Amino acid sequence: MIIRRLPETVVNRIAAGEVIERPASAVKELVENSIDAGARRIEVTVRDGGKSLIMVADDGSGMSRDDLELAIERHATSKLPDYDLSAIASLGFRGEALPSIGAVSRMSITSRAAAADSAWTLALEGGRKSGPAPAGHPAGTRIEVRDLFYATPARLKFLRSERSETQQIADAVNRLAMARPDIAFIFGDETRARIRLEAAEGDLLEGRLERLAGVMGKEFAANAMPVDAERDGIRLSGYAGVPTLNRANAAMQYLFVNGRPVKDRLLIGAVRGAYADFLSRDRHPLVALFLDIEPRAVDVNVHPAKAEVRFRDAGLVRGLIVGALKHALAAAGHRASTTVSAVALGALRSTPGAAPWRGGGGGYGYSPRPMSAGLAEQGAAYQAPLAGALDLPPGARVPTEAEAAAATEEYPLGAARAQLHGTYVVAQTADGFVIVDQHAAHERLVYERMKKALAADGVARQGLLIPEIVELDEAAAQRLVARAGELAELGLVLEGFGPGAVAVREVPAMLGRVDAAALVRDLADELAELGQAFSLKEKLEEVCGTIACHGSVRAGRRLNIDEMNALLREMEATPHSGQCNHGRPTYVELKLSDIEKLFGRR
Amino acid sequence: MYRPFFRQWERNTEHMKLTIERAELLRSLNHVQSVVERRNTIPILSNVQMDASGGKLRLTATDMDLAVVESVPAAVAVDGSTTAPAHTLYDIVRKLPDGAQIELDASGDAEQLQLRAGRSRFTLQTLPPGDFPQMTSGDLPHRFKLPAAELRSLIDRTRFAISTEETRYYLNGIYLHMAKKDDLEMLRAVATDGHRLARVELPLPQGAAGIPGVIVPRKTVNELRKLIEETGDDVELALSDAKIRFAFDDVELISKLIDGTFPDYDRVIPTGNDKTLEVDCGNFAAAVDRVATISTEKSRAVKLHVANGLVTLTASSPESGTATEEIEVDYGQEAIEIGFNARYLLDIAQQIEGETAQFSMADAASPTVIRDSDDPSALYVLMPMRV
Repeated sequence: MIIRRLPETVVNRIAAGEVIERPASAVKELVENSIDAGARRIEVTVRDGGKSLIMVADDGSGMSRDDLELAIERHATSKLPDYDLSAIASLGFRGEALPSIGAVSRMSITSRAAAADSAWTLALEGGRKSGPAPAGHPAGTRIEVRDLFYATPARLKFLRSERSETQQIADAVNRLAMARPDIAFIFGDETRARIRLEAAEGDLLEGRLERLAGVMGKEFAANAMPVDAERDGIRLSGYAGVPTLNRANAAMQYLFVNGRPVKDRLLIGAVRGAYADFLSRDRHPLVALFLDIEPRAVDVNVHPAKAEVRFRDAGLVRGLIVGALKHALAAAGHRASTTVSAVALGALRSTPGAAPWRGGGGGYGYSPRPMSAGLAEQGAAYQAPLAGALDLPPGARVPTEAEAAAATEEYPLGAARAQLHGTYVVAQTADGFVIVDQHAAHERLVYERMKKALAADGVARQGLLIPEIVELDEAAAQRLVARAGELAELGLVLEGFGPGAVAVREVPAMLGRVDAAALVRDLADELAELGQAFSLKEKLEEVCGTIACHGSVRAGRRLNIDEMNALLREMEATPHSGQCNHGRPTYVELKLSDIEKLFGRR
Repeated sequence: MYRPFFRQWERNTEHMKLTIERAELLRSLNHVQSVVERRNTIPILSNVQMDASGGKLRLTATDMDLAVVESVPAAVAVDGSTTAPAHTLYDIVRKLPDGAQIELDASGDAEQLQLRAGRSRFTLQTLPPGDFPQMTSGDLPHRFKLPAAELRSLIDRTRFAISTEETRYYLNGIYLHMAKKDDLEMLRAVATDGHRLARVELPLPQGAAGIPGVIVPRKTVNELRKLIEETGDDVELALSDAKIRFAFDDVELISKLIDGTFPDYDRVIPTGNDKTLEVDCGNFAAAVDRVATISTEKSRAVKLHVANGLVTLTASSPESGTATEEIEVDYGQEAIEIGFNARYLLDIAQQIEGETAQFSMADAASPTVIRDSDDPSALYVLMPMRV
């Protein structure tokens, strides 16, 4: 057998297999180039899900004739000025995209450098170059990729339907667009534009929310809490949805590191940790987070498509994300998503007999409520002496009408007016009314109280007569032992037992006769996957949740006005009382203006 | 003409007919039916097997791990066998009036059992007895007798500590084995769930020398305890290292044993606990029960502070408040504070028949030994709770 050096075209096709997995990855590479070239407007056109044509046109810096020829060479790039891989500030840096795409398709590049007076065009067909030749083109670059993968028929066979490939391209464009509200993105096939995102004027942060709304939906923008935190030179900004706005999967969770969209399980773990109190395990919140970090503290050269990154200090980043999200959630503790009241109103309006007073439906716009950050504090300040009880002194008198009116003004959740069907409390607020689900609300209050007690008193631990030895693989055992302190606080005391095992000495008394081995294995898996041990805390909180459910007022229990008011005041004083333990709202607020609209008064 | 035995037996299924006193049948059915699981994937396991011959009706029920066989006198008109749904049969007999004479007749249609009593008539679907799983005991080399009262006390004082956790299956029963104590051979029963341990011993009965250590499963223990509730006779035990049989009066229980190794429990029984105190067991249990009213629903933690002739029991919960109760004791050693699960304390206190219980402690993190001051045969070990 003779060892031969592979010809350039074959090398490029092999590389293309890694970098260009499907049309969407070609689009991603090309759009990233446009962004790196300082474009203000990027247009992407595809045909047949990108199989027959991908065209990316920008108004960026463009390339001169010489640059053009060099650009299609392997490992040639303009983006690593100091050849320093540890400080990558641009999206691209490998110098592989253009030759890789060119190796497996019929590609043509037309470009005019901003300062030059003429444009040049150059073609690559299955890796064979022709040109450059003079051409006519405004400043910027246009790349056309025809018959992608024609040179690698095997790959062509593995592509999915046109529809699915187009969707993947749209996702790729969307991800890139989210990070750069200052650039206009247009994506479509030749007949219509599927995405049209105009460049934002003025303030970046405002533009960002608008851009996120364009990508993730108006609903997100209306229900998003701003996130902004900084620690040790790492800045986290972006938006997180309120818990009542949730989805069945984590697809709507985005993380950008220095403007680069990444998929990282660290994000999924951190988001789950932050929302654990508010959402059941199978529901996922919507978030878009932007991490600005010193390029030297992150390694993006992990994956050919750069979808994964490595942080030098992953713990710090995780802590920052969890902390910032929790902070945002605490500040917005009382915001049930507007979708809830929108749904409620929608249901009201569709009642038979309610005349369709405005054709088409969906015509009224609910205005997102301003951030009610600090609502809890506000309520607490008013009501400090009363807080903490449904049990009023027996002699409490019913407030007079005047007092009730005053309460309406003072309290965010207003004054209780009535109880409907023994289940819902209706209260009048300054500019509308709220409907409270008494069981869900009280359950949350009891739960919060129990959690506080748990945090204050610590978790009682039952010692084991015979320490339970759990065999694990060595790495898992080490991870557990490294977190032993944290686990002990939650009532699980374990220690290393040889290289591949841990000995459990004490278990949380609350869990009764728990299967310690299974618990420890679950924890080890979670530490490996998510970097955090959720299931122990979740198990404890589940017990709290069950007790809370049994210990709270049921639907069907009649409450008098004093009891209802006490419930409302305690909700105001308790953080996170806007949703129950499962992410459902505990109350819905309807604005007077919405109600007026129902009656056609506005 | 040669006819194999089982052919003959099979033929008999069509011919069983007998009359029996309601009280007799009810008592026996009550014994065997509790072995039968409520839900079964194998239909015949829901049935009780009935064999009539020689003036007796033999009832058999099994869940494949244990079988109970009981014989009752009956007026057998035609010898034979059949099987019928155990719970249904039991419910019918239970609801029949006292003193009724019950006629069981499987002599008509092969698939049915007719039950007649007074003016009541029932027809039950049967399954062929040839399909009924037979529990064979195999060779049981070790045989000895225990008075029923001693067996009852052995079970009562240990079974509360049996583990219910399926993963440590070898703790799901009572470990019965031989042990030496001061040169005396003893028969020992031990159970533990990892939080507490109970150890009871008796002088080794004659014939028990050389028995292997065996783990008797929880369900077998519970069924056996029900069966021997009333008997005053000796119970005969026979065992190998895979099966055990208990026989008394007209009842026989055969069970598989748990195939596993019981942990070396001796190591967890502390010998150097030097802080000892004696309390009036009744007073102590009542006080624990009272104080535990306050402790949190799930953990049931109760703290004991022992110093200067006084045990102070406390419990607190952020929800309900605090509770304190003092009991005078004879204690002059160094003060100690130790927490326990109230339910575990009460479980143990219930087993102590004497007036006083003796606690031997080391510190708040180490196992405590509890004994009946008047009865050295039982010993309990309890792991503290860290509050």
